[in-house]
Amino acid sequence: MSVLRGRAWVFGDQISTDQILPGRYLDRSYAEVGQFAMAGADEEFAKKVQPGDIVVAGANFGCGSSREAAAVALRQAGVGAVVAPSFSRIFYRNAVNQGLPAVAVPDVEGFLAGDIIEVDLENRRVRNVSRPEVEKPILNLQGVSRQILAAGGIVPFVKARTGAASGA
Amino acid sequence: MTLTEQILARAAGRTVTPGDEIWARVDLAVMHDSSGPRRIAPVLAEVGNRIWDPSRVVVATDHFTPAANVRHAAILRQTRHWAKEFGIGRFFDEMGILHNLLLEKAIVTPGMLVVGADSHICTVGVHGALTVGVGSTELAMVLATGEIWLEVPRTVLVRIEGERPAWLTARDITMTILGKLKADFALDRAVEFDGSALAALSMDERTVLTNQGVEMGAVAAMVVPDERTYEYVQRLGGKPAMELKRPDPGSYERVHTFDVSDMVPMVACPPRVDQTRPAAELESVTLDRAYLGSCAGGKLADLQAAAALLKGRRVSIPLTVVPATRRVYEEALRTGILETLVAAGATIQAPGCGACAGLHSGLLGPEERCITTATRNFPGRMGDPTAEIYLASPLTVAASAVAGRIADPREYLGREAAA
Repeated sequence: MSVLRGRAWVFGDQISTDQILPGRYLDRSYAEVGQFAMAGADEEFAKKVQPGDIVVAGANFGCGSSREAAAVALRQAGVGAVVAPSFSRIFYRNAVNQGLPAVAVPDVEGFLAGDIIEVDLENRRVRNVSRPEVEKPILNLQGVSRQILAAGGIVPFVKARTGAASGA
Repeated sequence: MTLTEQILARAAGRTVTPGDEIWARVDLAVMHDSSGPRRIAPVLAEVGNRIWDPSRVVVATDHFTPAANVRHAAILRQTRHWAKEFGIGRFFDEMGILHNLLLEKAIVTPGMLVVGADSHICTVGVHGALTVGVGSTELAMVLATGEIWLEVPRTVLVRIEGERPAWLTARDITMTILGKLKADFALDRAVEFDGSALAALSMDERTVLTNQGVEMGAVAAMVVPDERTYEYVQRLGGKPAMELKRPDPGSYERVHTFDVSDMVPMVACPPRVDQTRPAAELESVTLDRAYLGSCAGGKLADLQAAAALLKGRRVSIPLTVVPATRRVYEEALRTGILETLVAAGATIQAPGCGACAGLHSGLLGPEERCITTATRNFPGRMGDPTAEIYLASPLTVAASAVAGRIADPREYLGREAAA
């Protein structure tokens, strides 16, 4: 798996899916939700974020609603990965299923807004390029979730596993 | 083995220990209009466009009902067409909230493995089932294959002991637990509830315990089934999926014990479910509206509790009441509960998720302050991100709607209840 590199956008603890994609946008199609990513925490985020940028957040990121549109919105907005000490289980699965790495590290100290962050999935570490002394090991993304991510998401993964693509 | 492990072992067809990755056979896959066909249809088409077993699928429209705009109406229409096209026998159209329907019809029974595209599907664990919340694409893969990949979670036991004061509700119990252990205490774990206090809780009340499981960070929440569980399920024609053995306490990762006899009415202050304080300490907080509803707080027991307090009284702020299901609506109508609520000044709305999901029917404006039995108080959950949501029991919501500020319901329930 590749090395992801992008600018850090830093958020606090317990960012809920109500903040990642507020309920008022839940009636939109997946193609439309990127423009509302993180609207409940920072209205301007979707306008400012650049492809490959990295969301750095506190504990229990993605808590609350199971809305997959939260993970889809981040991916559509161009977010390359989310780095946090812990994720709600449903958000974690949704992100991986959409091919968006949700990367758990022991803590996010030393990652500041605007820093250039490098997520190295192969060597299982997250490095702060702007502050080279800051480097954290990746604690999750093993086993089946790693395979799903490597396949590019759960749909290609299930196709390969069941041969469903050929109509079998 | 914990109940969680017993069910996963059956579903995987092998012995399991926490941390194992398994492929499990799913007994029931459920979804609603928001997470369902509109999101699922395109991905299901990519993997063969067939459902492994339509008799094991339940679809309900509850999020966008009644449609508040044309987009909602289009989503509902798509849901109906899809349910028909795929031969979904158990399609519940505008009958109320999915989770509550699964319980009142005893579709979910002890020992089942249920996968649902909604975070509050954990609610139905009150019947002794293991229920896992997922997103839409994952549910589509379950529909195609009948299987789900799971990591066997560690299990935490929460024991609830002691004798409950009459005015103490199950919601006060979950808020006390969340305040003490914090919102991620069960992150990546399963939670099982047991203890001597459960015998005195009705099935409706127990439902609040599992409903709040996801707020505790849990991947699944369950009440250890007892005679009441089996009687309730069997009376409604439900059959247990397997025989569950009462777990040895040593099989849990941790055990937390709570005593209900020293609990008090609690309120969770915005913006976190674990930021709880006794209602009596918040009486200076003035309110703009009150909302009684949701899968946690729109059940018959909730409407009944609110009506008991509101009888002969009048609300001083708007009180919106949303029965969880049509059956709750009908029963509340038949037993005079709705008449009492309306006489007290409440407005009754159509069954469904309503404003709890932040979609329609009573949303909050900028800086508006609401007290509610809804499920969560995160910023923007019920409307504007600056609105403030205070979570409370149906009794505390009713008392506060009368006072126009947060009120301890014991002040309103007579001398014997306050003693």
